Amino acid sequence: MLQPYTYLIVLFFTVIVCFIASFDKRLQFHKQFGAFIKAATIVAIPFIAWDIWFTAHGVWWFNTNYTTGASLAGLPIEEWMFFFCIPFSCVFTYYCLEKFFKWQAASAFNNLIVFIIIILCAVVGLLHPTKMYTLVTAVAVICTLIYLHFFVKTDWIGRATLTYIILLPGFFGVNGVLTGTGLQQAIVNYNPAEFLGIRMLTIPIEDMFYGYAQFLLVVYFFKKFQNK
Amino acid sequence: MNLLIVLTVFLLMEGATWLIHKYVMHGFLWILHRDHHDHSNNGAFERNDWFFVIFATPAIALMYYGAAANFNYLFYIGLGITLYGMAYFFVHDIFIHQRVKVLKNTQNPYLLAIRRAHKQHHKHTVKEYGECFGFLWVPVKYFKMYFNKN
Repeated sequence: MLQPYTYLIVLFFTVIVCFIASFDKRLQFHKQFGAFIKAATIVAIPFIAWDIWFTAHGVWWFNTNYTTGASLAGLPIEEWMFFFCIPFSCVFTYYCLEKFFKWQAASAFNNLIVFIIIILCAVVGLLHPTKMYTLVTAVAVICTLIYLHFFVKTDWIGRATLTYIILLPGFFGVNGVLTGTGLQQAIVNYNPAEFLGIRMLTIPIEDMFYGYAQFLLVVYFFKKFQNK
Repeated sequence: MNLLIVLTVFLLMEGATWLIHKYVMHGFLWILHRDHHDHSNNGAFERNDWFFVIFATPAIALMYYGAAANFNYLFYIGLGITLYGMAYFFVHDIFIHQRVKVLKNTQNPYLLAIRRAHKQHHKHTVKEYGECFGFLWVPVKYFKMYFNKN
């Protein structure tokens, strides 16, 4: 009976705790909602365009048994909300860590992280130029890291990466359900010809890098708009 | 065999680093390396960090062609360069320049020696008259300095 609301419920549980905690006196994250919405919207534009294009070309598709049925430009309405709900919890976590911990040391790893991930993505992308999801994700991660590290010269890539690692259990929960963990069928299905086929539980490994690029970009714009 | 290639490349990279550091970074590409010495650049990022692109490019190419050819020796050469790069960031960024306060009070003579030698290298803020261009291997006198103490 609840089946059509599955995707919606996943999103609800992703944001609810962070949303309530936003109004905590010590955090006052609700004062940053405007900055967050702006940042998430800017990042959502290319990512939703990418999503629409991939859905239209059959790189992935959605199982409408688990969605309410409303859709826009070929994407279920839940998928549109995904680009605000997921970044919300991620940025919220980053904001909390930034506020409560002296973790400048994590920035020492900027060079190392960028070096390793760029080499890894470049090699994998070059080896699999015909697999659309793999290739586009590798290019997106490389461009994001080069832009942030060499052009914007951010000093927080190490910190953001550490946050992302801390968030991985949550990532496994959310993406796990979306890709079929605990369900009879997956909500999001992938064309086997378009990705590496390496799955962590049910999650394609590309998803982890896709989420990483998205997260870094949202943090970047969030910092730009943030009320200090 | 593959492990041997990785190890050999790793060791050869120390030689290559010495040559590149002495003749390229303190040579015609001094413009990129200068701010690592005189800190003329503000912020966490140094123009010097562009050198990581210079080392990453051949590593990417080698690992790609090696992997495309069923993971032959080229891949392992690329891997050796990558591992050396990782060691470089660990030792240079994190330990020597203390971007993380770890091993600050180490008594390990090897670590003290490379830190001392790197300090010697940094004494010179100009292109010429540099010394101690090595990275994981430095002149014996620095090792003597600390090993003999114990």
